Amino acid sequence: MLIRLTGGEVVDPVNGATAKRDVWIRDGLLVDAPKGATADETHDVSGCIVMAGAIDIHSHIGGGNVNTARLLLPEHHRAHLPRPANTPLSNAGWSTFQTGTLYAQMGFTTVVEPAMAPYAALHTHLELADIPIIDKATLAILGNDDFTLSLLRDSKSKAMLDDYVAWIIGSSRALGVKVINAGAAAAFKENVRSFSLDDIVPEYGVSSRKIVKSLQASVTRLGVPHPLHVHANNLGIAGSADTAAATIAATEGVPLHLAHLQFYGYGTEGKRKFSSEAARLAEAVNANPDVTIDIGQVMFGQTVTISSDVMRQFSAIGNASPKKTVILDGDGNGGGGIVPYRYKQDYYGSLQWAVGLELFLLITDPWRVYFTTDHPNGAPFTAYPELFELLMSSNARDAKSTELNATALGLTTLASVRREYTLEEIAIMTRAAPAKLLGLKDRGHLGAGAIADVAVYRKGRDIAKMFREAALVFKNGDLVVKNGKVTHYRWGKTLRLNPPPDKAMVKRMQAYHEERYGLSLDWFTFPDSAIQRPDPFAEVIS
Amino acid sequence: MSVAWIGSQPVPLTDAVRNAAKLLASSRCPVFTLDADVHGTRSAIALAERLGGAYDHAAGDVLAKEVALFTDHGGMFTTPGEARRRSSLIVIVGEIPAAHHELLQAWADSQPDLGDRHKRSLFHIGGIETTEAGRLARKLKAIPLRGEGLSLPAALGVLRAALQGQRIAASLSNIERFKKALATAQFPVFVFSGTSGDTAGLVMLQGLIADLNKTGRASSVFLPADDDAWGTALTSLWMTGFPPRTGFSNSLPSYDPGRWDIQRMIRDKEADLHVWMSTRGGETPPLGGKIPLISLSKTNAPTSGAKVTISVGKAGIDHDGVSYSSRTGTFRAVQAAQPSQLPSVSSIIGQLAEALPGKKALPC
Repeated sequence: MLIRLTGGEVVDPVNGATAKRDVWIRDGLLVDAPKGATADETHDVSGCIVMAGAIDIHSHIGGGNVNTARLLLPEHHRAHLPRPANTPLSNAGWSTFQTGTLYAQMGFTTVVEPAMAPYAALHTHLELADIPIIDKATLAILGNDDFTLSLLRDSKSKAMLDDYVAWIIGSSRALGVKVINAGAAAAFKENVRSFSLDDIVPEYGVSSRKIVKSLQASVTRLGVPHPLHVHANNLGIAGSADTAAATIAATEGVPLHLAHLQFYGYGTEGKRKFSSEAARLAEAVNANPDVTIDIGQVMFGQTVTISSDVMRQFSAIGNASPKKTVILDGDGNGGGGIVPYRYKQDYYGSLQWAVGLELFLLITDPWRVYFTTDHPNGAPFTAYPELFELLMSSNARDAKSTELNATALGLTTLASVRREYTLEEIAIMTRAAPAKLLGLKDRGHLGAGAIADVAVYRKGRDIAKMFREAALVFKNGDLVVKNGKVTHYRWGKTLRLNPPPDKAMVKRMQAYHEERYGLSLDWFTFPDSAIQRPDPFAEVIS
Repeated sequence: MSVAWIGSQPVPLTDAVRNAAKLLASSRCPVFTLDADVHGTRSAIALAERLGGAYDHAAGDVLAKEVALFTDHGGMFTTPGEARRRSSLIVIVGEIPAAHHELLQAWADSQPDLGDRHKRSLFHIGGIETTEAGRLARKLKAIPLRGEGLSLPAALGVLRAALQGQRIAASLSNIERFKKALATAQFPVFVFSGTSGDTAGLVMLQGLIADLNKTGRASSVFLPADDDAWGTALTSLWMTGFPPRTGFSNSLPSYDPGRWDIQRMIRDKEADLHVWMSTRGGETPPLGGKIPLISLSKTNAPTSGAKVTISVGKAGIDHDGVSYSSRTGTFRAVQAAQPSQLPSVSSIIGQLAEALPGKKALPC
């Protein structure tokens, strides 16, 4: 099958300047214009922008905590409007089916669930397998589990840590590793209520810094393409910018990804002792090429915060709206907290909104800043179209600012920043850079040989509308969306690394689980066939 | 040996599927009683969506109570693994189903290796003592916390008030002993199930745990009354956004534990076809309805009163599958212990969907 998209303006910074050119798809892959060939299918995309399918590197779309949030909040479905039709179960609000449908309609074709508890990996993959159309991937959480902490406490060899990290990645079918408030979940079980980078985990005598540095080094030694994905300490509190700055300063030449930096962009200035430190953090990021970040933009309205940072979530119970929460002290890296929250246009909400935008606009290199709302923590991913508009239009920011708390905005630089993202920068931030960061060479661009994940947007003055309803979306060459609606239903894959397990480590794991949990290792592992879909996984060669 | 029947007559499986599909196609409001592993549940929910039906689990009443704790309140929880490793004080709340007694015994027979590492002690707080609860408490050497004439919610209320230092009219046996154990335990854990008491009692328990967390740490382990039912609830949540007692109108799911209580719907003649599953075998459909019945059950004989019976296997016994396990608090891949020719629920439902007009495959 040969498909031709003709007449569109192709925005593909990896392969050259924006220009009108045809895009050709053959059997699921992008190809150069074939000489003398006639397309089986031609789409006239005049007046449209053609980009690679978008990639979301940090969106909580499936797994135990997400599902517990659904259980806690059956009334929350309205946050996930608009509801599409024509595909099985896609009308089921906040379901796996709707997640895939809504992402595809915005031109997203790959999404990473960034917080998979290794012991509950099967649950996560069962959910991801029921997300249609798009490809998925996961990051396995490490850094709060007894085994890692014991290795560090006992000064075991780097090779042993590497074998363990590789076993976790392989057995949980992950694409990378994330650490969440390193050591804090373990410390919280010992009634520690606050935890910073140099604080020590009781029982183990290792600092949060040591955990992060050890895992960062291990991931790098193993050749995992995605740098260690770090959810730092002290999320959301006034003064957290100091923690983020210290974490950024601690990279020491080794790559590190800092997640949802907006939630660390807070200082202690002003009458309310809650101010923006975004400019300082942006400067720190700009000056340190080891660091990539995603934002975790706040948008206004009802949402639910879902995090494995159980210490932080426990401290937020008082702010729950509505007043019901779940706090789970999980096994090792599992657990977390579900705290529903409504972002209001008050002082605090306005400041958080502005901090995110400041970071987006003041970090100069679009290859190192990633487009996220930390779905659903800052906002549901369905708010992306409005966020694109805020980034691409200073007028849109000005207009929104008039509705917000002037005192809060006065403590930020937002009004003075007039930068507007170009389409090329959007394409880098949401396509090319995520592919590079995750080690996915087959996507994020429209060059020959890439998989045919293509999003076509109808150009218009209304930027949000343009990005909300893609004119056409192709996934692996299948036309899946037309005029903002899913027209074809297919199943994507979950991308994983598949490092071979070290035999000695497998034996050690067997003995550890039998001794500590009284259960054989097969209680915690699973075969691919458990997913019961044809070829649910695809391997990424690192 | 027959695996399919129309009425009481054995028939080839294809005939039974065709006949069942006819019943489904002509139904205006089919209801599904689920009892299957994750994949059987996924298929059944997808079929219910296509047909505009409603579904619940066979253990729907107790499941609804467990679900209500979360939808109405929430709470603080931990896993069986953490309880085993970290808790030197375990409080069993009310009645815990027999399926979990082996787990409780394993805790009683082991010691924590993390946290305070004190010798583990067990208490049992209950209302009016039942034979079963009393036997379990004695077997585990759990110290009773009981007040004369107090129901479980009342006993929990008294305990909560006592721990807050409030004056209380009633008293609980061994309360001072409990306070002493609590004072040295770094991570006390309360173990409960949907069988422990009504939702109000479970909410009271969570209030007590919240109090303890103001200055120290405490948590609870939730052991579902029925692991398969809880697995169905979790599966339903990711597929539709809702727990069971969900129905579909114009392909939109809605959750309403009253409206979609399918036993009530059958009794009140709101439903016109009942698809009843029982993979654990040896069960009969609940009485009280006179609507046509399709039985997907582990049986070697036709289900009494069923228009169509198809014998199905159970995941983990007859075929591989995925089930919820309260031993780990998450899903587990289970291998067939005694592989048989009995088809899985998901394969039968797939065949039913393809036998419906339109012959469209299900998404699960």
